[in-house]
Amino acid sequence: MFPLLKPTAFRAQAPALLAFKIFLLTSPLAIVVVLSLVVGLAMVVLFGYTSDQKAIKVAKDRLKAHLLAVRLFRDQLPVVMGSYGKILRGTGRYLKLAFKPLLYVIIPITVLIVQLDRCLGSTPLQRNVPFLLTVSTTGADVLNGVSLELPPEIAMTAPAVRIPAGNEIVWRLTAAADGEYEARIAAGGQSVVKTVRVSSDLARVSPVRLRGRFWERIFTSGEAALPQSGPIESISINYPERNIEIAGYEINWIWLFFILSMVAGFLFKGLLGIQI
Amino acid sequence: MKGLCGAGIPARQSGSRTKLRDGRDHASVHRERLRFAGRNACATRLLLLAIVFFPALAHAYAGPGAGFAVLSSFWAIFVAFLYSFYALMTWPFRQVFRFLRRRNAYGKAKFKRAVVLGFDGMDPDLAERFMNEGKLPNLAKLRERGTFSKLRTTFPAISPVAWSTFMTGVNPGKHNIYDFLARDTSNYLPFLSSAEIKGPKRHLKIGKYSIPFGKTEIKGMRKGTPFWHWLGKAGIFSSVIRVPVTFPPEKFSGVLLSGMCVPDLKGSQGTFCLCTTRSSGDKFREGGVRVPVDRVNGVCRSYIPGPENPLAEKAGGELRVKFEIRPEPGSEQARILVGSEKLTLKVGEYSEWIPVEFKAGLGFTAHGICRFLLKEVAPEVEVYVTPVNIDPGHPDLPISHPVTYSIYLAKLYGPYATLGLAEDTWALNEHVLDDDAFLAQAYGNHEDRERMLFDALEKTKQGLCTCVFDTTDRVQHMFWRYLDEDHPAARDVPRDQRPRVIENLYQRMDRLIGRVMQQIDQDTLLMIVSDHGFKSFARCVNLNAWLHQNGYLALKDGKTESGDWFEDVDWSRTCAYTMGLNGLYLNIKGREKQGIVDPAEANALKEELRQKLDGLADPASGAVGITGVFITDSVYRGPYTENAPDLLVGCGAGYRASWDSVMGKVTGQVFEDNIKAWSGDHCIDPRLVPGVLFSSHKFVAEKPAIVDVAPTILQLFGLALPAHFDGKPWALAPAAAESLNRS
Repeated sequence: MFPLLKPTAFRAQAPALLAFKIFLLTSPLAIVVVLSLVVGLAMVVLFGYTSDQKAIKVAKDRLKAHLLAVRLFRDQLPVVMGSYGKILRGTGRYLKLAFKPLLYVIIPITVLIVQLDRCLGSTPLQRNVPFLLTVSTTGADVLNGVSLELPPEIAMTAPAVRIPAGNEIVWRLTAAADGEYEARIAAGGQSVVKTVRVSSDLARVSPVRLRGRFWERIFTSGEAALPQSGPIESISINYPERNIEIAGYEINWIWLFFILSMVAGFLFKGLLGIQI
Repeated sequence: MKGLCGAGIPARQSGSRTKLRDGRDHASVHRERLRFAGRNACATRLLLLAIVFFPALAHAYAGPGAGFAVLSSFWAIFVAFLYSFYALMTWPFRQVFRFLRRRNAYGKAKFKRAVVLGFDGMDPDLAERFMNEGKLPNLAKLRERGTFSKLRTTFPAISPVAWSTFMTGVNPGKHNIYDFLARDTSNYLPFLSSAEIKGPKRHLKIGKYSIPFGKTEIKGMRKGTPFWHWLGKAGIFSSVIRVPVTFPPEKFSGVLLSGMCVPDLKGSQGTFCLCTTRSSGDKFREGGVRVPVDRVNGVCRSYIPGPENPLAEKAGGELRVKFEIRPEPGSEQARILVGSEKLTLKVGEYSEWIPVEFKAGLGFTAHGICRFLLKEVAPEVEVYVTPVNIDPGHPDLPISHPVTYSIYLAKLYGPYATLGLAEDTWALNEHVLDDDAFLAQAYGNHEDRERMLFDALEKTKQGLCTCVFDTTDRVQHMFWRYLDEDHPAARDVPRDQRPRVIENLYQRMDRLIGRVMQQIDQDTLLMIVSDHGFKSFARCVNLNAWLHQNGYLALKDGKTESGDWFEDVDWSRTCAYTMGLNGLYLNIKGREKQGIVDPAEANALKEELRQKLDGLADPASGAVGITGVFITDSVYRGPYTENAPDLLVGCGAGYRASWDSVMGKVTGQVFEDNIKAWSGDHCIDPRLVPGVLFSSHKFVAEKPAIVDVAPTILQLFGLALPAHFDGKPWALAPAAAESLNRS
């Protein structure tokens, strides 16, 4: 009998198996797969409800008809050219019809992707691996007045480097233990903090903290805005980019999500009889 | 959709004349709406552009819907570009190749394009009458400027025979079509004369399944070569739409959609279905089935019978598509759920074409389309379902050449009737449809056909464009009773209340011609032909009864009548029999399985029958019921004359072979009234029902015949005529030829 099927062996190895299962379920790949399926299904259903299904079917059918016309009447050049023109017009019409539902999904899906990107787009910092903390200021003249206060678990491994040409100051740091920390930066009489995430697990990270720049902050930062009155424009940490490995290839999660949700959408549209 | 369009037009028209309560008229409100819509559209476009081009949003992928839309659009454009580029790049080479191979295809052509419209059954006498009354201005214009003439038809004057002659330019002895039906000499049973469909020969038995191996074999029985094949060989393109007896479609240089003789999904020539909660009801004589509707808690369940299960071990296992009818309380409408389709119909309203899938298991699926007509919701529930047509967008049998042509038309205009006899004349005969429902169905099909014609005209700027319209035939068959003074089928309808259906039909066809004339120029020949004319069918003649009464056909001892297809006929004492519309057969020894007539005596017997039948009078009125009996040896010549009937019986005007006689049944009476809605016919003495010829250019032809059309077209395109043609080409009148030379 296979050892795992023996009750005693199973009991002994159960925690390890459970841990392995949890690892599988919480691995970035598993999250992306599950999420793609769910999003694929949800978006297809939403597409079905928010689009003019009949008009989309007609538009798609007409496109196919004009494509077939090019083939059927290929010896008649005016027909071929005319059909090509109709294909272009038909494509525009089809895109217009297909993008109407986009208006309904663009906000939730954007929020979802941004939130996911904070977990899946970058890996947290690793213990004892140097990383850079960069502060960008409004002018070179304030660089000398910028100071950094670190928690005891994080240490500076090199003196600060000031780059007046870029109005930047860079510190090289290392973390000794996992955890979420706050690095305090003081400049121009004001003090602000930047979160630093050190972990070997999946964790939510914010690579940058910004002043103003509303849209950029929505898409790239997970922290509150820096004070407008202060001299600091941004504080960033170079979290390593996360890639998911599939069959020996490393791929960004968003591409995987794109492909898998399309595949899921393709499968579900057939099952639900929804025209896309 | 048709209903919506129809409703939309008067709404818009009345809207411009009325005022709203606040004093504004509809037009100003409409203008405001347009402005608002314009602002909205502008905002929408800007938003779309922002979404697509704004960098921050561009990488925010917005779900599979948008993803598919973008990918498939680019794919469509890419494929179209590749096709077009290929066509553009290779076009000069293909032209050179064609030139070297065939010289200039149009070098000797008198016309750049020929448009031949077939109006099945258009009657020259009626056309002339309506033209003289000023009701057909476009046909009258053709009569004045071009040609108007009677067109001699074939023997017999039956559509599949006549259209086969039209396309091949030969007599039936050379194309092998003598009727809708032919008889099997081994068992005296009928089979469809135009095509034979055989399932795969080999089957693999696995459990309850019998899996067929190999292809379904579809064999065309019509011989001869359609004239568009000769055109194609010369490099002239043709668009051929719904010409009868073009199933299965043959390969040639052009596109073709098969017409009359295309079966329904069951393999029949059209089997409608009446789903009803009524428990009783006679079996329909032909063409339809009654299906029970089970009502449980206000939900009615029924099914559409489909083809035989190809995986069933034993024959007779019918595939079915179940559907639900949910009458809506308090209203004259019901919701119908079939497959993934949900539709709401009012009583008397047709659905659009609905796709239905008959699943046999193991992935075998037959694809069909049908329309529903809600007939009644209370107290009983009745739904009429049209015969299940082969789905043109997903054809399980080839119904076009290339196969993609039927798909192209379905994608362009939506599903359409593919059944050869698409207008359900049987349902009207059986009172399942009333006059209005039948006309709605017939004109629905007609509108689809018009769309196909105008697309073909647009696509075929050079070459041949031919399209046959069946509406003329079906409507005249079913509504002649209102045209006749005293038709037995319309005696209960007062004369002043009879609708002018046939007059309206001719006017509709005239308007169609007017629209076609706007699309063509002097370099295009427009020709309108019909395969036969029409006459009343008020009295039925049962020739089998006559043969029985005169000792040529014997029944088994003790029988006074037979069943269908010669049930209870004693073949050992039978010399002659009839089935189908005009054919009379001798029971010849060595040819028929139980033949008794010595071949040496056959000619004498034919002559005897001819003499006795010719001039046969109707005892009720004294009128001549049979005006001509023709021995086919003297009518046909060619390699397939052996399959022809021995005699053709031509009834007089007002008479036709009886419904029973057509189905090989012997009854007690020779003559009887025809009380069916099918009240006009042409399967009579061919000399009485010539077709019609109109053309845009004047022809000089003495007694033109339908057999002359093919040689005329070939000659007008400058091609040599094949030696086997029976028809003779018509010459253009000198004035017409001169004007063409000038242009």
